[in-house]
Amino acid sequence: MRIAVCSPQVPFERGGAELLAERLTFELKAHGHDADLVTIPFKWYPGSRILSQAFLWRLVDLEEADGRPVDLVIATKFPSYVIRHPNKVVWLVHQFRQAYELDRTDLGQFSDEPTDRALRRSVHSLDRIALGEARKLFAISGNVADRLERTLGLQAEPLLPPPQELPYRTDSYDDFVLSVNRLDRAKRIDLLLEAAALDPSLRVVIAGDGPDRERLESIARERGLDGRATFAGRVGDAELTELYATCLAVYYAPVDEDYGMVPYEAYRAEKPVVTTADAGWVTVAVEDGRTGLVTEPRAAAIAEACGWLREHLDEAKAYGRAGREVSERITWGHVVERLLS
Amino acid sequence: MRVGYFSPLPPTRSGIADYSALLLPALQKRVDVVPVGRRRRLGPRDIDVRLYHVGNNPDAHGWIVDTLRKKPGVVVLHDFVLHHLVAGLTVGRGDGHGYLDAMEREGGVVGRLLGHGVLDKRIPPLWESRPEAFHLAGEVLDLATGLIVHSRYVERRAREAGYEGPVWRIPHPAWEVPAVAPAPLDGSPLIGSFGNVNASKRIPQLLEAFARLRRERPDARLLLVGAVSPGFDLDRRLQRLGLSEEGIVREAYVEEDRLWSLMAACDVCVNLRSPTMGETSGSVIRQLSLGKPVVVSDVGWFSELPDDVALKVPVDAQETETLYAALELLARDEAARGAMSAAALELVRREHDLDRTAELYVAALEQALGGDAVSEAVLGDVARAAAEVGIGAGSAEATELARRLAEVELGR
Repeated sequence: MRIAVCSPQVPFERGGAELLAERLTFELKAHGHDADLVTIPFKWYPGSRILSQAFLWRLVDLEEADGRPVDLVIATKFPSYVIRHPNKVVWLVHQFRQAYELDRTDLGQFSDEPTDRALRRSVHSLDRIALGEARKLFAISGNVADRLERTLGLQAEPLLPPPQELPYRTDSYDDFVLSVNRLDRAKRIDLLLEAAALDPSLRVVIAGDGPDRERLESIARERGLDGRATFAGRVGDAELTELYATCLAVYYAPVDEDYGMVPYEAYRAEKPVVTTADAGWVTVAVEDGRTGLVTEPRAAAIAEACGWLREHLDEAKAYGRAGREVSERITWGHVVERLLS
Repeated sequence: MRVGYFSPLPPTRSGIADYSALLLPALQKRVDVVPVGRRRRLGPRDIDVRLYHVGNNPDAHGWIVDTLRKKPGVVVLHDFVLHHLVAGLTVGRGDGHGYLDAMEREGGVVGRLLGHGVLDKRIPPLWESRPEAFHLAGEVLDLATGLIVHSRYVERRAREAGYEGPVWRIPHPAWEVPAVAPAPLDGSPLIGSFGNVNASKRIPQLLEAFARLRRERPDARLLLVGAVSPGFDLDRRLQRLGLSEEGIVREAYVEEDRLWSLMAACDVCVNLRSPTMGETSGSVIRQLSLGKPVVVSDVGWFSELPDDVALKVPVDAQETETLYAALELLARDEAARGAMSAAALELVRREHDLDRTAELYVAALEQALGGDAVSEAVLGDVARAAAEVGIGAGSAEATELARRLAEVELGR
């Protein structure tokens, strides 16, 4: 089958959604299909640019390429699913969240001006039409599927993506808690730093880079965390594997997260995950008291959870092992089978 | 956003007044809404959007159309056929010429001549005899800057009538089911019909089908709730069909609690009508909220109910026969009734949730207020890019662009 995987790109930026689209293309090929990744740059500002940029996808003719039919398109993230194709399947990474649950928060984009309000509604309308056209709708997590039903009344089947392939291993349970994430406010890494400030014995390693780095480093300095908070920056596969292999636990608590591979990566290295009750999908991935700990979104609660794992190493290891079992059930074979069903 | 809300409200007895009593508080939680009544019919000056609820009853909606004429706004079109409303606004006010103009606008010279026939009392009033033949919605559609409808049927009719503005389809919200006990009524099954008792509610067909059902199922009972319309001789029909008092339970106008209690007692609810004016039935919404299997006429909004919640009876030569078969099936098959009940409850949860409805209203009003500016900006972006690469207006490429924009409802 000839399959086009559609995903937008933000030039010079790469995140989970881009990795997922690339991986899906790779896995489709590995399963014997002729797959290719189709991308268009996306800019969502200023003003109505979000709609005219999204509209570019509508002009793309993917019914055939070079005289040969394209049997299926799999669209992933806003606005790639605006594409028009008789056999369109959507594996929804997420909608344009600023127009939905992030609206009127610090992370929102649309003001209270009538034009901005209408613009936001036009994004909803576009989503309703474009997603409604899909022959099948999947979502990368129950969180994404629930939001889709709540906001647009469309039903999607949750289909979890497997974590990235790394030579995961378990070496030790050293005395540091690892954060693996892009550094932006929504990922709430400041909570972990504040937790370290409350517990002088807590050491944290922060892997990743992003626009919030300067602020986070400043928090670490102001709280006197020098030596206990390490900003590792963007790390390569080998270093990431090493960090997973040696950490005590992994912290992962973005605000109302849709999906992230980090918990399942941590599990593959048999590490428990600490998250917060308002972290959306993560609270489904982390079973409190079985594969990790789910706390209140307060620094003191996170410090307490990390401290408890350090004091109860056998439980921490058992949580990690249980997590590994969960993680190993999520396979690309299953994903490909469902998307092509 | 400040919204002027023009609608009849209780104690006015109308389905639209009930509708607004339900919707208004949910809307007021989300935006600044000023209810406007007939005494201050223009409403306050600092209103951003005007929301006019228009139905076919001239007494309840005449003043709303008067205001709409002065200050156009978003119209919630509860009925598509507005013949009775227009007759009230024209003939009812001694403005025969207005009626003739409305008839000519829709029906041409023939329409005008028919209008003369009505005014000269040569033919029966068309708003009573054949309202569906001339909807007379043209003026309201002209004045509407946007339309809110409850069904695809009304949306289609409005488009067919040439309406080109934005249309938002918003389901009728469901009431919270009150804590009332089912009325202690016998009947196995107990079949309910709620609303005026007359020919357009297909009561003759219902009575015939029920009489046949009762011959085979003597325990079956039919509950008729609603006033008997003038000229409809119910007693004679019952007598002719041999329907004894035991087989029929009758109640005239009932208060809300009693209505719920009676509906709750029913095994099946029947909601027939023809012709349809494009209306949505608050009664059906209540019945679905109670998880009742419903039998409806296969017309208008009723046709759009999912097949798993409603048995639909076409209005044709076999109507009575089909209706009998539907009633017989539901009387016989408890599992089917159970499945329809579960599907009804799920439909109400999914489609008719009050908060969802209010959200859809806010979305429509926000688009009504700022949508034009957004559309212009998107069109401007696309047109500029096209012009830069030599795609001119009227070219095949420009037509293709316009088609793609229309597909995703951008740049209207």
